[in-house]
Amino acid sequence: MPSRILTVDDSKTVRIIVRKAFRAFDCEIIEAANGVEGLAAAAASRPDLIILDITMPVMDGVEMLMKLKADPALKPIPVMMLTAEGGREHVLKIAKLGIRDYIVKPFKEDTLVEKVGRIIPLKQTSEIQAKPRSIVDPADILVVDDKPAIVSQIRDGLKHTKWTIHSAVSQAEALEYCAKQTPDLMIVSLSLPDDSAFALYRSVRNNPKSKGTPFFGLTVKTETAMQHAAQQVGITAVITKPIDLIELESKMAKALNLDTSLRYFEIQGDSIIMRLPEACLPAVLTDVGHYMKAKLPEAVDGGINQAIIDVHLLTGVDMGIIRLLMQTTQTCRELGMNYAMVGNPRLTEACREFEDTKEWTFCETTDAAREHLARVAAAAGSRAGFQLA
Amino acid sequence: MPAIKDTCENVIKDHIVRAVTDVFGTMLGHEVGDGEPCGNARVASGERNTTLDPAPVMVVGTVGFLGDVNGLLYLYFDATFATACTGVLLGMTQAEVAKSGAEVVNDAVGELTNMIAGSFKNNLCNAGHTCKLTIPSILRGRNFVVEPTSSARRYAYRFDCLGHKIVTDIIMNQDE
Repeated sequence: MPSRILTVDDSKTVRIIVRKAFRAFDCEIIEAANGVEGLAAAAASRPDLIILDITMPVMDGVEMLMKLKADPALKPIPVMMLTAEGGREHVLKIAKLGIRDYIVKPFKEDTLVEKVGRIIPLKQTSEIQAKPRSIVDPADILVVDDKPAIVSQIRDGLKHTKWTIHSAVSQAEALEYCAKQTPDLMIVSLSLPDDSAFALYRSVRNNPKSKGTPFFGLTVKTETAMQHAAQQVGITAVITKPIDLIELESKMAKALNLDTSLRYFEIQGDSIIMRLPEACLPAVLTDVGHYMKAKLPEAVDGGINQAIIDVHLLTGVDMGIIRLLMQTTQTCRELGMNYAMVGNPRLTEACREFEDTKEWTFCETTDAAREHLARVAAAAGSRAGFQLA
Repeated sequence: MPAIKDTCENVIKDHIVRAVTDVFGTMLGHEVGDGEPCGNARVASGERNTTLDPAPVMVVGTVGFLGDVNGLLYLYFDATFATACTGVLLGMTQAEVAKSGAEVVNDAVGELTNMIAGSFKNNLCNAGHTCKLTIPSILRGRNFVVEPTSSARRYAYRFDCLGHKIVTDIIMNQDE
């Protein structure tokens, strides 16, 4: 999946320059002209990074940044400030707001790319393989933690994947492992003694073989100073304990640049099935929405004209889910695909509470959905026959 | 409020020359010559400053700065050079710039002015005169002169760049 960068600047010139800077990379650039648009774009697209101007009309960059940090869903998105104001006091002031980095205008495109590359992985378009790695491909993950319980927790939590969890208890052991093979991703406890986690990070980054290896820091939720320090040096992501394993897996998949569409989309016979998991975090909805726009047309192109939207695992609905399902059904109609939804009684009841969903009907199982679609197709066929006659 | 008169003309010139050199060099890859003064006399009521020669069509970016120091910075381009610089800045051919229209050129000039004003202002801040910038605006036309409405100190410099002239004109309050 391409890295998503949101550029928020009232100057169209700057937005064009940012877009131009990342032309050679596998990046999707999203634009916004002020803080209000920026917040909406951040909520809708969940970018991997926001490049944010300060002086803007309607809502300036500082206010937008504060609103981002106040929203639990948007807070983790790293922000880089792009500013014409480089005075010492000003830089200190914005650094305290919790940004990952800043760049002062005028700037060279190479400098911008280098700074961004320290925060999110950037892949040159020439490096992109015809078939990107997917969620079902194997990967080697190195967990560096002197607490065996944490390693076990991660290993157990990810056992449904094809990822192999290797472990090390110290910086020295981790370096010994890395000398033999480069892991695909590292998860390192930031509370290793003598600040050795940061020393390990520097060693990993200085090694050309592991320079691009995603490096996650692991720390207790209340250790905000540690989290801040990790962000300052450019650690890929910070995972807080207690570990949310669903969130961890999602962040790892993103950092490994994996095609996660197989989690949600499957071709079965003459239908494409889109399946939502029980835990529909906003990041999951964004991923599914992103893949849906490509997968449904791809299916039609391959001769599939039926879609089954399987949401039976959901226990309730919220606006994010409603929006996704409406976009999906709309896309099916635009493509001329017949579709059916699979749900459960609790979901049907919940949908009656909303104007947009109260008319929705659900089949009980995917087999029932197939039968329904077969009846719809047969009815369409006999109507066509009647008209011809 | 510290008096701007304490900041001598050489310091102002140094700040603006560095700003213009930095912005043109970094964003456009263009070298600029040393700034030559082209009229920094104090403008009293009734006295016109005609050192800025009228060009066929001018595109002028302007940014204000407010704080310990108050003033306006103008950056004058002739339209042809403004279009050329826009193409370099945005990675567009001249034909593409022309097709995109004046808005693209205006925005590019506005951003260059913003960056020069920002650099100039940063130098002032580092010297102890804190201030903030306004958002840029654009003047476009021919045969016009910008004059301050009250007595002010004015610093105007002309720069050579690839055979074209660009002018920076800074109008600042005297001590109040």
